[in-house]
Amino acid sequence: MNRIFLLTPLIVLLIVCIFSLIYLLTGKDPNKPPSALLNKSVPIFESSSLYNSNEIIKTKDLQNKKTLINFFASWCSPCKVEHPLFFEIRKNYPELYLLGFNHKDPTLDAKKYLKDDGNPYHFVGVDSDGLIALEFGVFGLPETYLINEEGTIIYKFMGPLTKDILKNEIAPLL
Amino acid sequence: MISLIGFLSLVFAIGINFYLLLSRYIFKFKKQRFNFFIRLSSLLTLLSFFSLMYAYVTSDFSNYNVFQNSHSDKPLIYKISGTWGNHEGSMLLWLCILSIFSFFFSFTKNIEDNFQKLTLIIQAFLHILFGLFIVLTSNPFLVNSILVNEGLGLNPILQDPGLAIHPPVLYAGYVGYSIVFSIAIAGLFQNADDEWLYVAKKWSLISWTFLTGGIALGSYWAYYELGWGGWWFWDPVENISLMPWIAGLALVHSLIMVRGEQAIKKWIVFLSILCFSLSVFGTFLVRSGILTSVHSFAADSSRGVFILLIFFIITGFGFLVFLLKEPKKSNSLNLLFINKVSALVINNILMIIATLTILLGTIYPIIIEVLYNKRISVGGPYFNSTVIPIMIPGFLLMSIAPILSWQTSKIKSSKKYALSFIILSIVVLLQSYFLNFNTWGFVGLLLGLWIILASIIAILTSYKIKFTIKFFQIINPHIAHIGVGIAIIGITCSSVFQNELDFNLSEGDEFNVNGKKVLFEKIETTNETNFQALRGKFLFNIESNKINEIKAGKNYYPVSKIITSEAGILHQWNRDIYFILGDQKNNEWFVRVLINPFVSFIWLGVILMVYSGLIAVTRR
Repeated sequence: MNRIFLLTPLIVLLIVCIFSLIYLLTGKDPNKPPSALLNKSVPIFESSSLYNSNEIIKTKDLQNKKTLINFFASWCSPCKVEHPLFFEIRKNYPELYLLGFNHKDPTLDAKKYLKDDGNPYHFVGVDSDGLIALEFGVFGLPETYLINEEGTIIYKFMGPLTKDILKNEIAPLL
Repeated sequence: MISLIGFLSLVFAIGINFYLLLSRYIFKFKKQRFNFFIRLSSLLTLLSFFSLMYAYVTSDFSNYNVFQNSHSDKPLIYKISGTWGNHEGSMLLWLCILSIFSFFFSFTKNIEDNFQKLTLIIQAFLHILFGLFIVLTSNPFLVNSILVNEGLGLNPILQDPGLAIHPPVLYAGYVGYSIVFSIAIAGLFQNADDEWLYVAKKWSLISWTFLTGGIALGSYWAYYELGWGGWWFWDPVENISLMPWIAGLALVHSLIMVRGEQAIKKWIVFLSILCFSLSVFGTFLVRSGILTSVHSFAADSSRGVFILLIFFIITGFGFLVFLLKEPKKSNSLNLLFINKVSALVINNILMIIATLTILLGTIYPIIIEVLYNKRISVGGPYFNSTVIPIMIPGFLLMSIAPILSWQTSKIKSSKKYALSFIILSIVVLLQSYFLNFNTWGFVGLLLGLWIILASIIAILTSYKIKFTIKFFQIINPHIAHIGVGIAIIGITCSSVFQNELDFNLSEGDEFNVNGKKVLFEKIETTNETNFQALRGKFLFNIESNKINEIKAGKNYYPVSKIITSEAGILHQWNRDIYFILGDQKNNEWFVRVLINPFVSFIWLGVILMVYSGLIAVTRR
């Protein structure tokens, strides 16, 4: 009886450590909650271009090509960190369509941001009221989605992209 | 240059600790020489920490850590607190505090030399573990590869005086348990006599007092900075600090009450290991980034694995020694229906159940996500409905525990207590009934008031009132319990009877809060050193002669492009009126006003607890 009492803390310790270790090693990250939309179709959206409000992009336009959707804003500093990476993506994967959604941002700020830091996107859609982000289940900026030719979301990442993530997680899907 | 000095002194400090660890087996030192090395390593660790602080104060952006987390525009105090406002620096602070505790422990007298030495060797072992963690995964002295003139800035939410001192105080609590841990393990190894209990009591009281202060500071900060109107959110990081706090409370009580009973001594050793393990576990959960909260800095799984390993080694080692070296002698406990020992045992059991309940709620989401790949969050409702009911019998017992006898089940003047409890219940019941009745409100108020009343009766009937230091030392347990009672009243009233009012207002509008007229005078914007402030100015109670001005608003930090909310709070002794300025729409501002009754009681209660912790340290 006494032994069992003395062993209990060690057993509890072992259980806690094993689960924590698996959690860490499987690359689970609190910044990457399992997405409800993963492996589902892209939500229906319609958005106008930041530069020309007559130019519209719709869900249908994403058919037959791989698309990387990135939600960003000029006020979001982690977005600034990942920003240069999109130029690299555009250079290395010319086939990939880069769609940026400017999230809850004054137009002037957004334009200035893309002028100062450069514009890597093929199309910059406006999401001024955040409704598109809501449809996508965006948790926080920046957030990036990869869509395949059939219009299915095959990958989602929360937080600023890094070279490692690009190399290990996104590149194999391209 | 300064970074190099910092790094080298850190490495030397770790080296010295290696040397000390080996000294146990290879070269035997005399006590004086041994203590010299311990103190030297402490001073080197301190030097390392101050080098980093110096780099922050002088905005030395050739240090990568400073570049990442500081900015030359920042006020001096936030440059200093920037030292620990990031992962690397805060780990160095942790190590630094560990060293300080070892340093002071090396001066302890009335303790057997070998025992002291062994305790310090275990401290050296802990120093090596955390030191290696810093050097290998979280080095704050990395050189910045590019030449820059400006840094990226400290997270604005951390730019607050309360938060500047919250981490050092909290860490002093967490890390203080390392000494208690080392003492307990050394005690197991050496089968030392009971002298170590006295030493352990002192250190665990110090740690517990720091921890209480640290938690309260964090909580107070959350209250006025986060702008959610509450002060406790069952946030995972709050839970983590609460676990060692409750376990530490059990430990302090056991240490105060132990009178040579083997079973309780064994229990004390268990609690000592548990307290420090929970502290390290908390560090792991926060630093690995497994939990997201206002405390998470950048997550990095390699760090997580390393610190999990440290947690595993320390806790595993502790409990393994406990398993193998447990004190063999046993004498039975003097358990009666209701005496001091049985009250202690019951309260300890309740506190451990509460700790485990919190632990379960905290790690449950991790387990579920590993097993089912689903994200769940365990929040307030779980903790409120489990932890609070578990604690209630403990609170009831607490009110009379200090006057229970050691030998018999009799309580001195028990009739007085029974009578006053009945009268109090009726008064509170009537009061609740005629105001708005709420079960939790009733229970909380009754408990809080009863603890205060019973403690006062105990002081009045048991001691002669004198204003001497000795008298305050004797009534100290009662004072601590009065503090708890006051805090319970504050907690109950502010959570159960909180009142929320929402308004859409234009400048110049008048509105009513609790029957008092309030004027929303104007919106002001000002430029401060490193942020822009937007404030709504409110004049409270404009119909009287005593008009209070309240400013609520937001700060915008251009460097990091972050907006923080700044609640405007009018503190009154019996309530806080809490203003939050929301967004503007069509020239109207959304304004939320919360009336939080008796919040000040929570802080008053905590101050009493900290005070009695300090008094208890001075008492033998």
